[in-house]
Amino acid sequence: SQPLAGHQAAELQSKVVPSKQILHSDNMEMEPETMETKSVTDYFSKLHMGSLVYSCTSKRKTK
Amino acid sequence: RMEASCLELALEGERLCKAGDCRAGVSFFEAAVQVGTEDLRTLSAIYSQLGNAYFYLHEYAKALEYHHHDLTLARTIGDLLGEAKASGNLGNTLKVLGNFEEAIVCCQRHLDISRELNDKVGEARALYNLGNVYHSKGKNVASAGTHDPGELPDDVKSALQKAANYYEENLTIVTELGDRAAQGRAFGNLGNTHYLLGNFRSAVLAHEQRLLIAKEFGDRSAERRAYSNLGNAYIFLGEFETASEYYKRTLQLARQLKDRAVEAQACYSLGNTYTLLQDYEKAIDYHLKHLVIAQELNDKIGEGRACWSLGNAYTALGNHDQAIHFAERHLEISREVGDRSGELTARLNLSDLQMVLGLSYSTNNSMMSESHVVENSLNGTRPRAGRRHSMENMELMKLTPEKVQNWN
Repeated sequence: SQPLAGHQAAELQSKVVPSKQILHSDNMEMEPETMETKSVTDYFSKLHMGSLVYSCTSKRKTK
Repeated sequence: RMEASCLELALEGERLCKAGDCRAGVSFFEAAVQVGTEDLRTLSAIYSQLGNAYFYLHEYAKALEYHHHDLTLARTIGDLLGEAKASGNLGNTLKVLGNFEEAIVCCQRHLDISRELNDKVGEARALYNLGNVYHSKGKNVASAGTHDPGELPDDVKSALQKAANYYEENLTIVTELGDRAAQGRAFGNLGNTHYLLGNFRSAVLAHEQRLLIAKEFGDRSAERRAYSNLGNAYIFLGEFETASEYYKRTLQLARQLKDRAVEAQACYSLGNTYTLLQDYEKAIDYHLKHLVIAQELNDKIGEGRACWSLGNAYTALGNHDQAIHFAERHLEISREVGDRSGELTARLNLSDLQMVLGLSYSTNNSMMSESHVVENSLNGTRPRAGRRHSMENMELMKLTPEKVQNWN
């Protein structure tokens, strides 16, 4: 049975690992999402721009 | 006094999130909401940032809740730009949650308002988001089926084609604006869309652009992503040598960046590539490296894959002892993780190997002796040809690029 086993081994070897038989877990690598941002300071700085400008100029004046 | 306190808490939340500590930032924002404010614009900004912080923390249900609050508020106070931003963020969140139809509506709203306000930057960002939603939608449907990239049903193809069109539109604007970072992102995702569509040459061209921009910025993570994506595309072009070179660059960078999971992935890809090149010694070398890291990270599924691959490679080399060792390990792990098809494959591999070794392999091995029983209970009595066929189906399914995880 030795030649038979040899034949089977050869047959198995040829069947093993055809190109399709690969577990391809090629993770596709995506780019990150972009989120839109808001900030309390955006609005805060607009809201208080007047008084800030005022305090700066008044500080300058006092110098 | 109360107003200042809410603002102070929110400012601290902003500072913490900018510093990268979203978890701590969230607690300050939530404290700010507790204190409350009558200034609805401030509240809108807090909701928006809470939504984004939860998004980055992968707590999407919470992100959805806060972006929804922000949208309602922006509409109430008639803040059109604020509404556009909230819509975009809500759209991105809905996309991650798999609600693609609503995501499209939201991202489209972001786009419409940006155009109305003649806000080019917003318009480009909305186009990128829309591209991402259609890409996810296409990939989601595709992953449910058993297709190679390029062999797609019409609905998948049309979603992916739309994604490609949105990325192209985005690219036109960000190129005009000279925004290289945005170009890089669009090229990367455009490349991946072409890859799924089976346009592998176009995928390569896009990823080459992505690589160029990543190098300009010294962004090594983006560079590594580009190498990996280029490797994947060259595999499907049948250019395995080139693919192996790109995967090696990926591995190199993964090691430099000390990202073990990515290192494991690169080793696995290299193992598969050398299998395709029929260099089984090198394949085994890389699959063993992958196995070690999978065990280290307690990644059972990865470990099972490694054993399956090693079993095949050792069989190809005629090393049946090692082949049986890994096939048995694959069977054990498949059972452990409840992977029925993996379990079946492992049993088939073992019975094939047993047949080759025939008389020499011990018949009182418990796993071997029960194998035919389970096979019958799984499939009924099936002819050998049927077995092969079912195996091939499984392999085809696994070949399809997998759903992207939420790590990005």
